[in-house]
Amino acid sequence: MRSTEPVIEMRQARPAFDQAGLMSVAYDLRLMPGDCALIRSRDRERSGLFGDLCAGMVPLYSGTLRCMGLDWTQLEVQEQWALRARIGRIAQIGAWVDMFGTHLNILTPVLHHTTTPEDQLVEEASRLAVRFGLPGLPTVAPGRLSTLDLRRSALVRAFMGDPSLLLLEEPVGPETPELLDTFLGVLTHARNEGTAVIWFARNDDVWNSYLKQATHHFLLLDEGLIPMRGV
Amino acid sequence: MKRVIEKIRAFLHGLGAMTRRQLRFSLMLVGVGWGVLREAIRPNSWRRSVRMEYRHSLRAAAGGGIVSTLVVSALTGFGIVAQTIYWLNVVGMEATTDSILATVLVREIAPVLVGIILLGRNGMLGLTQIGMLTMGGQMRTFEAEGIDPFLFFMVPRALAMTLASFALGMLFSIVSLSVGYIVCWAENIVTQSIWSFLYDILRALEPRDYVSIPLKFLLSGFFVSLSCTLTGMDVTRDDDIATLMPRGFARGIMVLMVINVALTVGFA
Repeated sequence: MRSTEPVIEMRQARPAFDQAGLMSVAYDLRLMPGDCALIRSRDRERSGLFGDLCAGMVPLYSGTLRCMGLDWTQLEVQEQWALRARIGRIAQIGAWVDMFGTHLNILTPVLHHTTTPEDQLVEEASRLAVRFGLPGLPTVAPGRLSTLDLRRSALVRAFMGDPSLLLLEEPVGPETPELLDTFLGVLTHARNEGTAVIWFARNDDVWNSYLKQATHHFLLLDEGLIPMRGV
Repeated sequence: MKRVIEKIRAFLHGLGAMTRRQLRFSLMLVGVGWGVLREAIRPNSWRRSVRMEYRHSLRAAAGGGIVSTLVVSALTGFGIVAQTIYWLNVVGMEATTDSILATVLVREIAPVLVGIILLGRNGMLGLTQIGMLTMGGQMRTFEAEGIDPFLFFMVPRALAMTLASFALGMLFSIVSLSVGYIVCWAENIVTQSIWSFLYDILRALEPRDYVSIPLKFLLSGFFVSLSCTLTGMDVTRDDDIATLMPRGFARGIMVLMVINVALTVGFA
């Protein structure tokens, strides 16, 4: 049975930092399980910082920010780490650690947060890898993978462990239609299971075919999250 | 007069800033050391990912450092132990050989040399890795995945280096003494067996040495690792590898010096 709590709920949440990228204005967003918000942002850094905001990594000046019913500001540090384990993420900046193989990059979060046997995790990762078009779970360093394979690996990592919230920064591009189809299939399945999704992209082309299935559509600008028509 | 006052102010400003910078890192080091010990005794800290990093770090520090330690200890045995035995024999002070070797080599030189080997071989590598991860934004990604970089990097690496330092220190002491003995035995300077030679050195050690020597090895590894990892995590926007590595090396050497001097004085 699905939870009736919003997966992410921002009410006049105003981030407390003066870094370039995300302005310190009030943000409002409410996603229920299975919802999907499409957020268009031309600035990659801004998308990343908004993702950080959703993951409770940015302190607030004012307002509230709850994830799965829990207020980030009220949680102990250990609880914050545990809650972030429920978030699957594709980041554009600093996403891969080259001193580990790609398989360890993918498996480390689930190895860290769960007690699921390793062979089950490897099996799940391999199954997802094959689904996204990889021959298996890649073991070479991420730096040695092609851009497309790295995109596929990022998808595998994001969907591992059935996350409750997905923060996807440009997960696919229009230049890879087969990957886009597979991604949309897996995404729809995850949403049916109750995962809420925030999908960032630089332009609308990539999600044109998915616009009707999304529940929210925003523009992320200096002024904040601007709702768009059409959803 | 005004210019002189300005110069004094600038000097005091620089001195104050430097003092604050130095103290800041020292205090951070103490705090992080306490944090590592606290995390290390919590069973929940030892998750699979942390155990994996610990095994990897231990293999890199202890396994990877064996050859370097063997070479340096053989050179030390040849250069210091053999020469000490030879010259003490020449001046007729062979009765003091055991206590001098125990004091100079085992108690003072071995912890410093092993610390320098670990600093150069593992500490600087760790510093570069962590520094690159921090500057490249990967540390932020770890945080976004709910993985505490302190728990994932700092705790296992510091504990692995502590254990490796002790193991390599014991290896260093035994090999350097043995090589020194073999050289002297080949030149007919000593006639006793190697076992009685080593036994005499053990007898020359005082009871407090059985605490201070292992403590030197353990603390050297622990704080060298912490110093390097912390320097890597504590980067600013102006930093790059060219500024980070000399700073990390200087801090590592300073940490070694402070630990060895403090323990020598403390156990004197």
